[in-house]
Order: sequence, then structure tokens, then C-alpha cells
Amino acid sequence: MNLIKWISLFVYIQFYLRVEASAQTIVAPTLEDEVVLYASTKQVNQFFRRFNNEESIDGSRYYEKDSLYRNPITRSFFLNLLFDKENSFVKEDLKRQFIQYVGDPEKPVFLDFHGGNWIAQVNTIFYWEGKEVNATLFLKLQEEKIGSKWVINRVCFRPFEEFFVKDTQDTVHFLHPLSHELEFMNLYKVFHDDKNILQNYTERNYDPDYLALFLFEVKKGNLRFKTVTDVKFHFFQVDNWYFELSQFNRAGYNTGWLISDLQKLDSKEKDSLLKNVYNRYE
Amino acid sequence: MSRKSLIIIALVLSGIAPVLFAQDNVTPQRKHAIDSLALEKVRDLSKYISIIGDKGTSFSEASRVIKRADELFATGSKMGVSTLASPAVNYFTVDNYFKRLMALNYIKVKIDWYSIHYISDLEKQPDGKYVGVVTIYQRFEGYGAEGLKYTDVTKKDVTIYVEKKHTQINGMPIDFWDVILGDMKVTETKKQ
Repeated sequence: MNLIKWISLFVYIQFYLRVEASAQTIVAPTLEDEVVLYASTKQVNQFFRRFNNEESIDGSRYYEKDSLYRNPITRSFFLNLLFDKENSFVKEDLKRQFIQYVGDPEKPVFLDFHGGNWIAQVNTIFYWEGKEVNATLFLKLQEEKIGSKWVINRVCFRPFEEFFVKDTQDTVHFLHPLSHELEFMNLYKVFHDDKNILQNYTERNYDPDYLALFLFEVKKGNLRFKTVTDVKFHFFQVDNWYFELSQFNRAGYNTGWLISDLQKLDSKEKDSLLKNVYNRYE
Repeated sequence: MSRKSLIIIALVLSGIAPVLFAQDNVTPQRKHAIDSLALEKVRDLSKYISIIGDKGTSFSEASRVIKRADELFATGSKMGVSTLASPAVNYFTVDNYFKRLMALNYIKVKIDWYSIHYISDLEKQPDGKYVGVVTIYQRFEGYGAEGLKYTDVTKKDVTIYVEKKHTQINGMPIDFWDVILGDMKVTETKKQ
């Protein structure tokens, strides 16, 4: 029996056993709708629980003492359910390899909410110089003395990046190597020349801190938050694998928080992928 | 009946709806009790939304219920609303959200709640409170003079803050866990 049929049977039983608590509050509009809602991975929290097989079909939490807690058989059902089935870029064979890897009976891999190595990508709109401009914020979960919190660790904001494009081949604008003998009086040239090439006077590996600039501009009132348009998560928690988690709000059973990208990687590829993720504009 | 039992009954009857515990960590049993309390608050919210949206509810009654609904939420809570057509979130104060619901331009409104709900784990935040999210689903039908005019299904993700509080009854100190609602994200999932 596949999982959807299993859920259907569960909901069917629930449907006929249900006692309406009050005419005003509880009504089961249709059986079909309920099956869809049960099948949906409704929260990121549920994604974690399903990935690890830490809850039943109806979403009741399993704890360590429960016999089905992290049960490998039901876990493989759930793992199959957690992929965006409309995405043909993630090949079936790769999915199978991933499910086998995390479900290895000798060395199973589980996701850990507090385990680090996962980041949130939040696509937003800000008002900037009279226009609406996209900004992508990256957040990570930071452990505190008490509890934890999400913190912003990066921002991608195209106007800033365009501002700092550096001409690495520039052989015209520089401070000559004996500038120090004149106590750098030639700095007048740097700061009075065309401001667009100011960055050419910085060291080769100069990497502007866009988040500092971003916060500065918000504090000065030049950038104003409008809204969030989309959220996704990037997971690097499973050794040698990367996956992306996105929310699918659509008809059918394959909805909610699902794996939208999956890649097998070595440690070098992991660094370059992470860099790629941080430079994403969507 | 012991004095302590009488105090617990008094607290329940006083509407504080406590989940009484001595320590401040959340065991599975305690989580279960907090979940029930959270669901009770969310069900109250559902009931209030149904009453406020009902065109048969008088203005004065709806205004009274809006006040009651407001009291379920922590100060400054927001409602973030997105639709299938526009996933960007529109922000409303709790009060404005209910007033907009009350003012919808239909002859008749029918609001049903799916029995399904989902409750997240509780996570501790730096101020010592616990935070969780309860997800519920609502079906809305708006009728005009010529019949059913609009219907949608929305997912409502409601933040819950869980806090250990202290009180004294008859000089006896009592610790209890209380639940208050926070920001709510409303996402349209189906529209006809």
C-alpha cells in the first residue's frame, strides 16, 4: 500500500469516527481535501520529523521510548514523500542513492534542528531610492545561553554589488609604490577622482561587507522593508550531500515543504556551492 | 479534597487554564498538556473568526468578539496575508485583520474549519519563553445575491508563546504554564 492510500485510509476512519465539537468550528468539507492536507508537509518542523521518522501519519510526535521512533521501514515511506515530484532535474537514481545513504541501517543519518549547517534564504522587497528592489537575506540559527534565535549573516543586494565592481586590469588608477615618501599626499587623487573607480585602489582580495552597508542604509532610513516574497532552506547537514528545501503551494498530494534540489558533493564542491548559494538572486 | 486540588480547580475555573508544573523543562507529557492548551486558544480564535465573519452577527456583537479575539494575542502581533496570485506578504494589525473580515462585502459568509491541525515542537528562545507554531486550515465561502461568489482554503500558521508564570492563591505560590498567540501567517492554498 503506498503512503497516499495509507493516509486516505487513516483519514477515512477519522472522518467517520469524528464527533463534531461545535457546528460553528469543526466541519470536514471533503474527504479528498483532508487527505491532501494530511499528505502535505505543513511546516519545516514536520519536514524534520518526517525525514527522521519522528511522527505518525497524523502528525503525532514519536519520542525515543516509542517503538516506531526513527523506524527505518516507515522512514523510507516518508523520505520518498519529501521530494518535489514535479522536478525532473533531480533524477530518480540520485534520490534513491540519497535515501539509501541517510537510511543506511548501520549508520543512519538524521537531521538535527540545532545541528547547524543549514541556512535560510529569505527573498524580500525593500524600497530603495524611490523604487522597489529585491534583497536576499541569509539567516542561520544561532545557539544562545538560553535557547536559540535566527540571525542574519549575509545579504545579497544588487545595487551594492554593482557599486563595487572592480576593474582588476586597471593600470591607470593606483597609488605608486613611493607614495609613502610623500606621506601619501597623493590620496587627494583617490578621493577626488571619479568615485566610480574608488574600489580600484583597494587590495586585490578586498571583499566589501554588504551586510554592514545594508544595515547602515536601513538605519539611515534609505532602505525600507516592504515584504517577504519567498523562503527556502539550504541543507549541508548530510555529509557529501546538499539539498534545498522549498515550499510548494499547489494542488495535489505532493505539497508543502519538499526537497527541490539535491546534489552529491565532495568537501571542495561544498564550499563552491555554498558560495554560489550566497550569491543567488531569485 | 486537598487544599492544593481546590486551588487547581479554582485556577481552572478562573479561566487561567493552567498547565501546572514545578520545573521549567518540557517533557513529552508536559508538551502534550501545553499542546492541548495551545489548541484550545487556537480553537477560540477559530470560533471568534467564524462569529466575526458571519453576516448574521450584529455590529456590536462582532465588535465585542473582536476585543475578545485581540486578547488572545501578544501585544504588537501581526497578521501576514499572502494569496496564490501574490505570494508577497501583506501585513495587518490583529485588530485591522478582524475589522476587514467583518466588513467583507458578501450577503452571507460561511467559514468552516478542517479538523486537521499540526503542532510543531516547542523551541526555547533567548528570553526563556518557548515558541511553537500551530497550523490549521479554514474554508471560506462568500455568497452574493446570485449564490456562491467566492471560495478559498487558507492555511493559518499561528505562533504560540509558552511561558511559565507564577501566581498566589490564598497565599500559596502556584507556578503554571500559560499560552498566548503571536504573529499569524495566512496563506491561500486553494481558490475557486
